[in-house]
Amino acid sequence: MHSVETVPAHLEQTSAQVLIASRLAKRFGDRVAVDDVSFAVAAGETYGLLGPNGAGKTTTIRLICGLLRADAGQILIAGQPISTTATPAKKSIGYVPQEIALYPDLTARENLRFFGRLYGLHGKALNHRVGKVLDLIGLSERGRDRVESFSGGMKRRLNIGAGLLHEPTLLVLDEPTVGVDPQSRHAVMESVRSFGAAGMAVLYTTHYMEEAERLCDRVGIIDHGRLVAEGTRRELVAQLGEHDHIQLTATGDLAALADRCRGLEGIDRADVKDGQIQLLATEGRRLLPAVLEAAERIGTTVRSVEVAEPDLEAVFLHLTGTALRE
Amino acid sequence: MTALAVAAASLRRMLRDRTALFFVVLLPVLVIAIIGTVVHNPGGFRIGVLAGQAAGPALATSLVDDLGAAGPVEFQTDEQAARTALRRGELDAVVLVPVDLEATLLRGDDVVIPVLAGGAESTQSAVRSAVSAAVARHAERVQAAAFAARRTNSSVAEQLPRATALQRVTPRISVSTENVASGSDYLPLGFGYSAPTMLVLFVFINALAGGATVVQTRQLGIYSRALAAPVRARDLVFGETLSYLTFALLQSALIIGTGSLLFGVSWGNLPAAIALVVTWALVGTGAGMLSGAVFKTPDQASAIGPVVGIAFAMLGGCMWPLEIVPETVRTVGHATPHAWAVDAWITLLSRAGGLADIATDLAVLAGFAAGMLGLAAVLLRRRLSS
Ligand SMILES: Nc1ncnc2c1ncn2[C@@H]1O[C@H](COP(=O)(O)OP(=O)(O)O)[C@@H](O)[C@H]1O
Ligand SMILES: [Mg+2]
Repeated sequence: MHSVETVPAHLEQTSAQVLIASRLAKRFGDRVAVDDVSFAVAAGETYGLLGPNGAGKTTTIRLICGLLRADAGQILIAGQPISTTATPAKKSIGYVPQEIALYPDLTARENLRFFGRLYGLHGKALNHRVGKVLDLIGLSERGRDRVESFSGGMKRRLNIGAGLLHEPTLLVLDEPTVGVDPQSRHAVMESVRSFGAAGMAVLYTTHYMEEAERLCDRVGIIDHGRLVAEGTRRELVAQLGEHDHIQLTATGDLAALADRCRGLEGIDRADVKDGQIQLLATEGRRLLPAVLEAAERIGTTVRSVEVAEPDLEAVFLHLTGTALRE
Repeated sequence: MTALAVAAASLRRMLRDRTALFFVVLLPVLVIAIIGTVVHNPGGFRIGVLAGQAAGPALATSLVDDLGAAGPVEFQTDEQAARTALRRGELDAVVLVPVDLEATLLRGDDVVIPVLAGGAESTQSAVRSAVSAAVARHAERVQAAAFAARRTNSSVAEQLPRATALQRVTPRISVSTENVASGSDYLPLGFGYSAPTMLVLFVFINALAGGATVVQTRQLGIYSRALAAPVRARDLVFGETLSYLTFALLQSALIIGTGSLLFGVSWGNLPAAIALVVTWALVGTGAGMLSGAVFKTPDQASAIGPVVGIAFAMLGGCMWPLEIVPETVRTVGHATPHAWAVDAWITLLSRAGGLADIATDLAVLAGFAAGMLGLAAVLLRRRLSS
């Protein structure tokens, strides 16, 4: 258990930093869900927490929103400490949960009014904000319809809208694109991008590598409750050095081939998955002949070879030894 | 402010639920009408009269008039049909008026009037005394007329109207009985019984079934989301409680209104009735909130709620008066809040009681309400902030 109460040096509060989470820890019984997690999000910045299911993203977010009591660590939002009992300070946060937390039998407008009132909005100001938000999420025409009649994408948008009514300084979105068709997903991501552009600090969790790459200024990679790496996409990829990501599609004894590849100099990792071998190699292009020769010797037939610039997927693989998506 | 927003949203959802509104609005009215009609007492006993020429001789006619005071009289044409009607419970008694009643009486001889009675023993004895009273009244009149006829040398038939007129101005002396043993003055019957007991039953059962809404809101993650706002768990619990209370009060008002307007129920002493309605609404609210806190899925809550609600209503005397069940069952029944509420309503409606007469019942009900509300609040707050 971490009992350190000091803020790590790189998280020293600056005026631009909206969220500072330092050394957060949370366990459920024996299961460690969040383990010594620290990061900060500045105004106008979109920060992505990228990790597979069960990595601890939702738990981290519930700690940050004051919904769970942390076992250790500190959270400051807009300079104010957050805890489950820090009721007034929660006003700075807009929380969009992973599930659709809306009343299905109330209309879109009624739902927005409800959440607006929870944040102390009322009267003209409330009406004004509800109208604005309906515009923003493209549901002005459907304000008087019940949520249960909405498509999955519309519900997702309204779910996000309910977190925007009080114009929070920090918007926290927990996997907002799960279960959404590609078109709505695009719309969701476009609006998230606009929030960042408007100066809001955005904390965004996802297990989709492409979303984190496209949307986030900085990404924290989380696995088994630990933040294993953090930085801009460029910084993260640079951690791999001159690494290439090679994908071999082949038939035959793939396990033996992977074994053989691991023995080759310059290859850091070799994993078999779905009839493919994923290799992480230094100067991969120059190693290709050796790989192909090994394949021939074992008797496997290589159908295609793909050499890719490393991406966050490769970073994740490199850092954790497992693929991001199983 | 926050609590009000929560209460408003919940109340809006309840009022929007068509199925629930059936159970809240239509069903109670139907059941009050049915039970009130079945367990009723249409202003006395239904008496059949079998008489050779009932409309004939003056003395027989005046006896039938007297029987009419005990309840509606139906003329029967043959004894067999009359016995069948008795067996079916369509009649409470059949009075066999002797064909030679007039002749025998005018001769000055004694007359025996046979009465066939059916139904429960208690009904039988009550019918016997009602018929005896009518017969005695009739006999008084005939004696007076006979006396006058002898003195004035006229006929009994001539003197009978004068005797009847005289009897009307003579004050009646009647005896009322109180059954001290059963703790109740008499069996509560009719709409005066069905309306308040159905109020007790439906307010409770609908509040309990409504616990499913709280479970659903929990499951949807709405409370959890609300707690990310500057809102305390206690505001949420208080808001939900407020919506349930309002709903229970609305339903009570509805049943009271239809009871008075459609079924002519008078709800007794006003302050006492108000106190009872509010206390009972709190009991229902407590039960609903407890169900909302305890159950894991809305289905559990909406399946178990009505079963518990009906069972409590049966035990507590909402379906039939506890006066007719064995002592032990009556004692067990008072483990439910229903029995206390029904007792209080019977005190108010059937015995013209006031606030002081139902103080004990109210105190017990308030205890039930406080216990359930307190437990529900603790459990729900723990669930919400875990
Ligand atoms: N309330 C809870 N009780 C017990 N275990 C939990 C609870 N919430 C989360 N966990 C566990 O903590 C780990 C992290 O979960 P979560 O934060 O939901 O991951 P993610 O959001 O990244 O999918 C998982 O192993 C999960 O099973
Ligand atoms: Mg999650």
